[in-house]
Amino acid sequence: MTRQLTGSPAAPAKTVPSAQRRGRWSGRTRRDFFVFLALALPNLALIAVFTYLPLINNMYYSTLDWTLGSASATVVGLDNYVSFFTSSDAPHVLGTTLIFTVVTVGGSMVLGLLVALALNAKVRGTTFARSAVFAPYVLSGVGVGLVWLFIFDPGYGVLSWLLRGIGQQSPQWINDPQLALVMVIIVYIWKNLGYCAVVYLAGLQGLPKDVMEAASLDGANGFRRFMSMSVPLLSPTTFFLLITTMISSLQAFDLIRIMTPLGNGTNTLIYEAYLQAFGAYNRAGYSATISVVLFAILLIITVLQLRFVERKVHYS
Amino acid sequence: MTMNLDRRNFLGLAGLGIGAAALAACGGPSTGGSAASSAPADIDFSGVKPAGSFDFWTSHPGQSQAVEQSIIEKFQAKFPDIKVNLVTAGANYEEIAQKFQTSQAAKSALPGLVVLSDVWWFRYYTNGNIIPLDGLVKQLDIKIDDFQKSLVADYQYANKQWALPYGRSTPLFYYNKDHFKAAGLPDRAPKTWQEFAEWAPKLQASSGAKYAYMYPALAGYAGWTLQNMLWGWGGSWSNGWNLNCDSTESVTALQWAQDSIYKDKWAGVSSKNAADDFSAGIASTTISSTGDLLGVLKSAKFNVGVGFLPGGPKAETNVCPTGGAGLGIPSGVSKEVQLAAATFLKFMTEPENTAAFSAATGYMPSRVSADMTAVLAKTPQIKTAMDQLKVTRVQDNARVFLPGADQEMAKSAAKILTQQGDVKATMTDLKATLDGIYTKDVKPKLKS
Repeated sequence: MTRQLTGSPAAPAKTVPSAQRRGRWSGRTRRDFFVFLALALPNLALIAVFTYLPLINNMYYSTLDWTLGSASATVVGLDNYVSFFTSSDAPHVLGTTLIFTVVTVGGSMVLGLLVALALNAKVRGTTFARSAVFAPYVLSGVGVGLVWLFIFDPGYGVLSWLLRGIGQQSPQWINDPQLALVMVIIVYIWKNLGYCAVVYLAGLQGLPKDVMEAASLDGANGFRRFMSMSVPLLSPTTFFLLITTMISSLQAFDLIRIMTPLGNGTNTLIYEAYLQAFGAYNRAGYSATISVVLFAILLIITVLQLRFVERKVHYS
Repeated sequence: MTMNLDRRNFLGLAGLGIGAAALAACGGPSTGGSAASSAPADIDFSGVKPAGSFDFWTSHPGQSQAVEQSIIEKFQAKFPDIKVNLVTAGANYEEIAQKFQTSQAAKSALPGLVVLSDVWWFRYYTNGNIIPLDGLVKQLDIKIDDFQKSLVADYQYANKQWALPYGRSTPLFYYNKDHFKAAGLPDRAPKTWQEFAEWAPKLQASSGAKYAYMYPALAGYAGWTLQNMLWGWGGSWSNGWNLNCDSTESVTALQWAQDSIYKDKWAGVSSKNAADDFSAGIASTTISSTGDLLGVLKSAKFNVGVGFLPGGPKAETNVCPTGGAGLGIPSGVSKEVQLAAATFLKFMTEPENTAAFSAATGYMPSRVSADMTAVLAKTPQIKTAMDQLKVTRVQDNARVFLPGADQEMAKSAAKILTQQGDVKATMTDLKATLDGIYTKDVKPKLKS
């Protein structure tokens, strides 16, 4: 069924006389349509130029053997994709991306919910606590990375000093690839925890009080009320956070760049794409390939979430 | 004409428009010809008038912003018609290279003069990003014979001069004189690593420092400083274009380095900056660039000694690589800008200015006739770097000519020195990786 732009959903096109259709476009509707175009076209043009055009260009570049800085390139078809998926780096990069995303999304959401529960309590100082919890989220990732790098420094960092105080040696947070990933994950969760906490707090404060009171009167204890009432009723919030934090984690860059410039154990897909093009290698075509792989993964995750996860969300 | 535009048609048209725009803009690099660099032609600058201004992209090597600015002011007093815009184009050589390469891709906002490091200039040459300076050297009468021969030769390829030396350095052996004294050791750098291995336990026992020696941070040019050990043991990353990083000699050298950390436990690996760790007293000795000299002297709260790099069982001398940065002129700017930049390049590298730059940073003067008397009176340690220059060795091709090789070397060094990886297997893997880079990215572009 064709629906007219006039917003007349009930009227099938076939049943409308042509004179009537002409009439619709000749009057106020035509003006409305041009107003719509005037308002929408600049935005559509900006989205086209700054989002879809680079996306399409990037797909084209992924078919090239192109060294960044070189004026010429060779068309290689899908060779870059074959190279990436058959390289020894691919499992490492995909694995690092998976670990980083799962742990940061899970950690931020679980800890964020716990912090939100604490902030939701009616005690003194919660306003200050809310501000303190949210503050890291609005700080510059570069600044946060530099400060935490100093904290983790095994030579003269604060953490090293504390560990020495109890007779322990600092682990090699920066040089050891596995610990470097742990280090970046800790800092990422610390920085983004406030966002989840504040969104969950808003969700908690929007829970229907009568339902919670009814459950309480029926004898449900705090844990039971939380598991059987709060968690299901918070599912729209959880779903929203799941999508936004997952996309954000897959795009995490600033902390990784500052804390591990060579990507020592922290080569997520997006950071590997950066290193390949703008790091030491200048493989712009290969980097574009990794970006396309990341785009495909994000697309699949979003579609899966919309198709399957949303079904389990309770909106009321 | 009837206008019958439903939502589907509208979206279709919009999609068509976006697609057309996308296809129209699918410019990027040319895919018509070969990427191989053609024979460089001499550029004729006769009749060209220098541009009124140009950008000078620098990372201020050795914290040189103030001295760069003062040289620019002197230049503008002499050449009031040429304005030099000092641009901080990155915090290090890699960041400046990233900005330069990105501007090349965007074909815009290129500088007139750019700082280029030992591992980047050849890539700029193969990509056709910089011009040969020979014509400008002749036209502006730049005294090329007065430059330190080995430093100026580093930028020669295909019988052309592609850059001139600027913030040039060698690694230096830094030692804590107070720790050496407390351990009863002579006030000098060790002649060989074997000698230092005998000293290390004494240093550890008496100094209170965590390590007797700190290996430089692996993210900070490990491929550069490790050449010292490889050469001392008779190995290398490569011999000419023969990649021999997995040779018995190279593997033995790196095994020795690994043992110093895990078996003998007197050495550590810096997480961020070995010079900072040394200045903070975490280690009694380290190897770092001459460009770190003034910073170390300023921040260390102990007496600092510097010496030549130690040799190894196969070679006691000529085990020190040169390094650092030069200055090049991009090909993507007008001849007027190139001429203006070359005029400044000549001024910047004149003897008194290289001496001033050296005094402010600790980098070596690139001109033989630079009067260093006043500089050496103030900072006598610079003399060690200047003397060591006579026994330096040209860096291995694999490190300076293969794109990304330095990073691959750093990764391999990390595997060996921080994860106790198998040395032979790691070096075999590295050789395969370097071979792949050479075959794909370099060999097709080399002159036959």
